[in-house]
Amino acid sequence: MEIKIMRNILDRNQNKANEVRNLLVSKNIVMVNIISSPGAGKTSLLERTCEHFGTKFKFGVIEGDVTTDRDAQRLKKYNIPIVVINTEGGCHLDSHSISKVLDSFDLDNLDLLFVENVGNLICPSQFDLGETFKLAVVSTAEGDDKPAKYPMLFRDARAVLLNKIDLIPYTNFSYESFRKDLTAINAGIPLFEISCTRGDGMDSWYSWIENQLLQNLNPNFTSRRL
Amino acid sequence: MIYLLEFSCPESVKKLIMHELRIAEDLSAIVIETARNGNLSIVGKVNISIGQLIQVVPEIFEFAFREAVRNTIAEDAELSIEIIKVKMNCVQCGCNFHLNENLFKCCRCGSIDIKIINGKELFVKSIEGE
Repeated sequence: MEIKIMRNILDRNQNKANEVRNLLVSKNIVMVNIISSPGAGKTSLLERTCEHFGTKFKFGVIEGDVTTDRDAQRLKKYNIPIVVINTEGGCHLDSHSISKVLDSFDLDNLDLLFVENVGNLICPSQFDLGETFKLAVVSTAEGDDKPAKYPMLFRDARAVLLNKIDLIPYTNFSYESFRKDLTAINAGIPLFEISCTRGDGMDSWYSWIENQLLQNLNPNFTSRRL
Repeated sequence: MIYLLEFSCPESVKKLIMHELRIAEDLSAIVIETARNGNLSIVGKVNISIGQLIQVVPEIFEFAFREAVRNTIAEDAELSIEIIKVKMNCVQCGCNFHLNENLFKCCRCGSIDIKIINGKELFVKSIEGE
């Protein structure tokens, strides 16, 4: 006997992600799901961004890590609410883990929630967390082939940050090849070429993320041309 | 203020760090629930579809599935995986086309205004049993 099902295998995750998204929309919170390989610079990006905006916006951070709270410790000095999710071996966060920790935040007092996903380019792309959008972070030291190898992430992300551009002279990274692959996959996607340690290109990123926030807080807000 | 939350997860997850296992566990739960509701005492076959854009490796998924259905009524079920090719539709000229060399662009008019119709599937079609 055959029983027809036709059901999304991940619908348990999807249903919870939809709940999270509805909750965040009702609270007017932007949630950014940051996806990158380990060591691409997610935490450095958050350090820089928290430092730049100070108390202008109310930030919160969910740190997903296989183990340890080291990333969270680095952000402690910015005096923002941080929740660490240790996945204990799990290679990604899912919507259920996000839903559980949202209770730890004062959602009426939050503009932007950054989720630093577990460092990995494949698994986190499969699991909707209920985020407003995904952000792909790659670094030049990883090579220029990441968009070609992981097209799904670069299709789904709202923007790409290429970090560690100061290291290009010491690598075989090719801008041309990187841009060509990225354009083939997602031609209109905003690309920020930055160095979190040296500060290159950070102003464009700050303007862009600020525009995302202002648009969310006031849908009539027209974004400034970058 | 830092809260530390540790999520307990099954021992199997700790041993096998991969998303295929998590997907296989969700699949196993759906299979067993459907089999029970349909009064099946044994599941002989599970038919699923995976889109090419979903980065699930069939061989690893098969392995993860075996782990996930261990000691259940689907323990000996054959897993049949249908791979669905990436198909896109051009919003500008209406052309339907398959993905070629990672180029998400209309092969007729060159527009990047395209919709992905197929290739992101991850669903269970049916189960067979008695």
